[in-house]
Amino acid sequence: MLDKRYMISDGLAFFEERDMKKLSKKAAKGWHLKRFRFAGYELEKGDSEEVIYNIDYRKLRATEEEEYFELFAYGGWTHVCSSTDMHIFKAAPGTTSIYSDAESSLDKLNRLAKPVNLVASVALAITIFLWIFMTFTSGTIQYIAQQGFAYSFIFTVPAVMTSCGVYYHMWKNLRLRSKY
Amino acid sequence: MKSLEQLTDSVFYIMAALTEPRHGYAVMSLIEETTKGTFVVGPASLYTIIKKLVAEQLIQLHDDSDSRRKVYVLTDKGREILLEDIERRKVMIHLAEQGLQRGNI
Repeated sequence: MLDKRYMISDGLAFFEERDMKKLSKKAAKGWHLKRFRFAGYELEKGDSEEVIYNIDYRKLRATEEEEYFELFAYGGWTHVCSSTDMHIFKAAPGTTSIYSDAESSLDKLNRLAKPVNLVASVALAITIFLWIFMTFTSGTIQYIAQQGFAYSFIFTVPAVMTSCGVYYHMWKNLRLRSKY
Repeated sequence: MKSLEQLTDSVFYIMAALTEPRHGYAVMSLIEETTKGTFVVGPASLYTIIKKLVAEQLIQLHDDSDSRRKVYVLTDKGREILLEDIERRKVMIHLAEQGLQRGNI
């Protein structure tokens, strides 16, 4: 069956808007967002539809879910899918963005920054530790440290980049806000 | 929303709507109707602001019998903050009106 397709994410921290626009273009061609997949999205074949997508990051308690999704529905936003703390909504073109003011969209970035920064700083600390170990030891221990460093480095680079992405958006957002 | 000393327009509208008990989307539609659609609060912004106002104890749950339609209302502290901000905004408007009047002579 070829009614399903995978679309890779460009990285939500840096290119959230680009991902959402890409999803919108796919929907116009009849490929609709179905669910989150590892590092991307699963699309399903259907009728062509003009829609825009928005994403929100929020940890919801079971008691908060109904109120949260109800508000979006009332604002014209249909809930499409969620993955842990990420929720994607779609609406007709021209619908007011889910975040209509700079203050609360900055809050959204702050919420996103917490787990992202935690992962990045732990990864960075491990990498630095292994590097020191690798530099000041010799023999088998050095070899193990070198291997460990190589692996943790591969993981740390994207983690730190993601962190930078979030800060880049915060900076952009702050600059935008100071215009008003 | 670090400090609530100066309310943003969105916060001001939401607090103004909650001078009487209302649920989230009654707030949304009241703002949209009153401003004839020139000011619309997005659902994520509204939800964020409501959560924040509750945390700051400026609004409170009026009646939590229905989890889908939680009804909120201003607290005494909320009324106070709103009144202060009304005064702040009055000064702005007064300044502009006076200036325009003098400019007309």
